[in-house]
Amino acid sequence: MNIWPLRFRDLGCGSLLFADDAGGFFKGTEDFLHRYAFDALTDEDQAFLHEGGHTFQRELDLSYLGFAYRWCARQAPRRQLGYVILVPTLRCNLTCSYCQVSRAPEGARGFDWTEDTLDAVLAFIGGLAAPEIKIEFQGGEPLLRLDLLERVRDFCRQRFGKAEFVVCTNLQAVSAEAWDYLAAPDTFISTSLDGDAVTHQRQRTRSTELTNAFFGNLDRAIEQFGSSKVSALPTIDIERPPAVDEIISSFVDRGLRSIYLRPINHQGFARRGRDPDVGLDRWNAWHAAFIEHLIERNFRTGTILEEYYFSQCLKRVLRAGADEHVDLRNPNFFASDYLVIDHDGVLYPTDEARMQSRIGRIDLSVGHVHHGIDTEKVATLNAASCNNFDPDCIHCPYQPFCGSDLVDDISRYGRIDLPKQATWFCRRHTSLFDKVFELLYRRDEATRFSLSRWADLESWPEHLVREHQ
Amino acid sequence: MIPLRFAARSSQPEPFVMRLNAEVRAYELDRTGLRTEFDGDLVEVAGQRLTYASPRGTLVIDGTTAEEVDGDVVLALPGGRAAQRLIRATSPHNTFLITERCDQLCLMCSQPPKHHHADLLPFFEAAALLAPAGTTIGISGGEPLLYKAALLPMMQRVLTHRPDLGFHVLSNAQHIDEDDLDPLAGMRDRVLWGIPLYAADAATHDRIVGKSGAFLQLMETLPIFARAGASIELRTVIMRENAALLARLASFVIMHLPFINRWALMQLESIGFGRQNWDRLFFDHSTEFTPIADALNIAKARNVEAVLFNFPRCTVPQPYRDRAPSTISDWKRRYLGECSGCQERDICGGFFEWYPEDRGFQRLARI
Ligand code: SF4
Ligand code: SF4
Repeated sequence: MNIWPLRFRDLGCGSLLFADDAGGFFKGTEDFLHRYAFDALTDEDQAFLHEGGHTFQRELDLSYLGFAYRWCARQAPRRQLGYVILVPTLRCNLTCSYCQVSRAPEGARGFDWTEDTLDAVLAFIGGLAAPEIKIEFQGGEPLLRLDLLERVRDFCRQRFGKAEFVVCTNLQAVSAEAWDYLAAPDTFISTSLDGDAVTHQRQRTRSTELTNAFFGNLDRAIEQFGSSKVSALPTIDIERPPAVDEIISSFVDRGLRSIYLRPINHQGFARRGRDPDVGLDRWNAWHAAFIEHLIERNFRTGTILEEYYFSQCLKRVLRAGADEHVDLRNPNFFASDYLVIDHDGVLYPTDEARMQSRIGRIDLSVGHVHHGIDTEKVATLNAASCNNFDPDCIHCPYQPFCGSDLVDDISRYGRIDLPKQATWFCRRHTSLFDKVFELLYRRDEATRFSLSRWADLESWPEHLVREHQ
Repeated sequence: MIPLRFAARSSQPEPFVMRLNAEVRAYELDRTGLRTEFDGDLVEVAGQRLTYASPRGTLVIDGTTAEEVDGDVVLALPGGRAAQRLIRATSPHNTFLITERCDQLCLMCSQPPKHHHADLLPFFEAAALLAPAGTTIGISGGEPLLYKAALLPMMQRVLTHRPDLGFHVLSNAQHIDEDDLDPLAGMRDRVLWGIPLYAADAATHDRIVGKSGAFLQLMETLPIFARAGASIELRTVIMRENAALLARLASFVIMHLPFINRWALMQLESIGFGRQNWDRLFFDHSTEFTPIADALNIAKARNVEAVLFNFPRCTVPQPYRDRAPSTISDWKRRYLGECSGCQERDICGGFFEWYPEDRGFQRLARI
């Protein structure tokens, strides 16, 4: 019998997590590790490993093919370019505390698409092979250029079989025409809601008047269009996080059931003189406590709230194909299925790459809407967008579930060759997956209630995760 | 029940295939030049007696209307006294019974095998070529692959001539070997193989299918289907024999058979051996759904699609109802008294014609 290589990690209390390259995993003991390492597996060990798909007898037998299939399915497929993030203007009517670099003052000139750029953007989108398109309008504040939004939407609706639009807006000033625009069934709203009103005001709106205007518009949007058309993302300053209960009630009270917690990512001068990883341990601990809070609350109330990114990690542990989140995929090829077109027509693989280029740290642009994608540059980036062969990740049992984010490494450290365990990305995901496995092997009803719903299951099945002595 | 056979009188003692065309269809064939030698046009109607004439012979059919059978493909049976409906033009459920022979003897077989075999393949081939556009044709038995030497090439020919057709084959998959890789691969997107697996352990599976070594043989042939990229519908009839082992089977499926297109968990059909052994086999999921819920959740957690076949919707707990599509073929489906006024009747598959009401589901109530 052949055993696919197993990686392992201490889970504490004498238990170890074992995982193979295809993402098959189980909880085992140090004794088992010893038997595995010294080639002294018992018949029971072998039977256990065989049942779990960790072995094969000969090439191309059923177990071998099952493993190969599961391995392949885990590699995020490179899909058609069908998701385009557009920045029709960089101008904004707010000055959020951590956003100096991706905005220009509302009255500034030269930060909007020209007529020429608009034509080129439409020609570029029109030339895509995908049958369906998703457009995300970013900014700046895209509603400042409703006229451009209208023209893009009109064009896409007639060009594609199916088109969907997300407007990422601060919902600060919404004109009557903008409300009409947002009312369309194919158009969705994404906004920021930094926990409670006090925090939102401190981080974003600065004045009570603007804060009230924002909440008024948010509530109107939800009331008028329903909560399924609105998503709100909180950005958390880990040095002054809002109270967990406050965050939860500002979402629940509005009928929003999915909360995507994101740590502030300081950019430009706001980062200067700071340790790029300041607050990481605090973030990890705070986030884990938030998850426990949700578990307790969900069970007590019988309703479900999720933290979006944690659910995503959980799904990635359980199954292949949970590749929706663009920061958590592997390989994470650039400009393959989505792309950013900036206010000046420059193409970027991600929004973060756009930011890094704007502050002049590194030029991560991958072409221009007039000339198309610079495939050579994309290929260079892609060469480092895969964790399968990273000298640290190959020893990590979380590798099949984890992703790779070289832009984040560049933005924090200016390089991509640090030992993984020294990076924010790795330490954050190690902590997340530790939490996922802690919960997967916890045997209480409250945890299982939340886990099952977060994984889109009706209830938590016995025997879903395996253990071996 | 919708009749699959009519009393008939044929001008020929030899069997032959005919497509039945009422007036409009006959004109259409002339207009488009798509008429074949198998096309028979309606020439006379006398009450429920219809006469059709084709280059191959004349056929008088009793007991139906020209609208009812318009576009159907029938086989005038040897002796010329009956006509078998091979293709019903308006039905999505058309199945060719390739043979009644089988090398297994399943506890719940709905069509217990017989030794006698009549080779109707050439007629099936002709009928398939005359099928309405876009149809999926069922291939069943007995065990159809006992005749794979003729069957696989026949399927290939039909698929080549009719790029719009597909097949759904029900086979015990005992008779596939390396040499079949190419034909299987050639048909992979257009043939769905319905392959039964009843347990993750050889003893239980073999006992249910009545053939020792069957499980091990499947472990040899399933990889061949997988390597060919064939589309597979794994089928598990749930019985008292295997219900408790379902979660284990689910774990086996997600790890060793992750490449299947879907996993069908099927309720028992009370006919053939299924009727004889009903009391011993029938597992009433309406009162004990946990093993099925566990299997569904294990599969879903790992991205394997699992569905419930032949499960009346009201017997399934609400959160799982959407996995119970209507699957009982129209010609053998019925509804009970309870069903009148049920809101979900239109999407519910109801019951088999031969469902024993007095010994069936304990929990049944209109929705
Ligand atoms: S980045 Fe870190 S957590 Fe992710 S696979 Fe690599 S070593 Fe593991
Ligand atoms: S009452 Fe009849 S139609 Fe309604 S769900 Fe039950 S079986 Fe189906």
